[in-house]
Amino acid sequence: MRWFIDNMFGYWILLLVISCGISAICYEVFLRHLMK
Amino acid sequence: MFDFTVAGHVIPLFLLVLTGFTVGIVGGFFGVGGGYMVTPALIVFGFPGYMASGTDACHIAGKAVISSIRHRQLGNIDWTIALAMVGGTMLGVELGVRLLVYTKNIGLSSVVLLAASVLVMFGLFLYTQIETIKSSKKIAEETAAGRTIGRELKVSTIPKLFQAISILPIIKARTARLVISMWVIVIVGVLTGILAGFLGVGGGFIRVPALVYVVGTTSHLAVGTDLVEIVVSGGYGALRQSMEGNVDFMAVFFMIIGAMLGAQFGSLATSFVRGPAIRYILSYSLILATTGALLRLIYVLTGGTVEFLAFFAVVFTLGEMIFLCLFIVSLVLFSVRHKHGKWVPPWVPPLVVKD
Repeated sequence: MRWFIDNMFGYWILLLVISCGISAICYEVFLRHLMK
Repeated sequence: MFDFTVAGHVIPLFLLVLTGFTVGIVGGFFGVGGGYMVTPALIVFGFPGYMASGTDACHIAGKAVISSIRHRQLGNIDWTIALAMVGGTMLGVELGVRLLVYTKNIGLSSVVLLAASVLVMFGLFLYTQIETIKSSKKIAEETAAGRTIGRELKVSTIPKLFQAISILPIIKARTARLVISMWVIVIVGVLTGILAGFLGVGGGFIRVPALVYVVGTTSHLAVGTDLVEIVVSGGYGALRQSMEGNVDFMAVFFMIIGAMLGAQFGSLATSFVRGPAIRYILSYSLILATTGALLRLIYVLTGGTVEFLAFFAVVFTLGEMIFLCLFIVSLVLFSVRHKHGKWVPPWVPPLVVKD
């Protein structure tokens, strides 16, 4: 876990995973039924 | 959840506010209007292409006014350059809007806008990657030589070539401390204006690098001066897009609510973070936005039958926005900690301003 903070690349990966996770949830909950 | 109907397509309201908020932070922070991500993002969320472009242009004009006021207070605007560029920008916007109307009439606005966005953003990604590598080398050299790293780093000699052009009238920009032919500035205005009018963007993502690497201003002056230009290109673009029926004003209203909050924070953030750090973030956000737009483009071209393409387009596009917000907020927090002499990760100090 420390690597994700001490390394900029690791920090980006951490933020990216969090961001894409939130986006995936948003798609499933709010957008999926509207796209059909 | 409140949903919103735009040209027959339903969009969740919070996405409009979140999109406005994100580009508000990014716009105030980078000086770019954030439009390069809004138009493809709105198409990814379900807007028709021409409505995405028109709505984006309107929301940007409002947001740029707020950001400009903040940057004027910080002394980040060169009014001589800004006023010299206005005419060229308006001409460019007019040409760009006419091009958009043509693609709308032949029913290809979404496809053409997505394709153009992918090309522009990927080009910018490559460009900013190269510049980031140059800046990193410069920081390493300055640190090795024991010199203090200032707020701004000069890594290019290209502006000297353009400043040597002696076609009259020559203008003297006092705030930027440079002398340059007005035609260089006007041509930058026309070219960025065409992109602004067509994509519905402010054009800052091209204009800021152009001001830095062609005209020769500092990053922070480029950011402020560009925002004045976005008020003009966004305002004129919004007027023309409205006349063409490309704008949904309720969508604009909700996006501006988010943008108002984001722009104030973004402008303040520029006082905490160095120019090269700005390019770092911009560079990596571009590749996410490009991937999202590309997936949506393939989704549209395949007739909307492959659902996972729409899923990943949303994940990358929305993910990019959330990523940018989180990174900028965390960098400002790290900067504050650094100022107070507290522990920060080892990669943070070269990116933030301590004094």
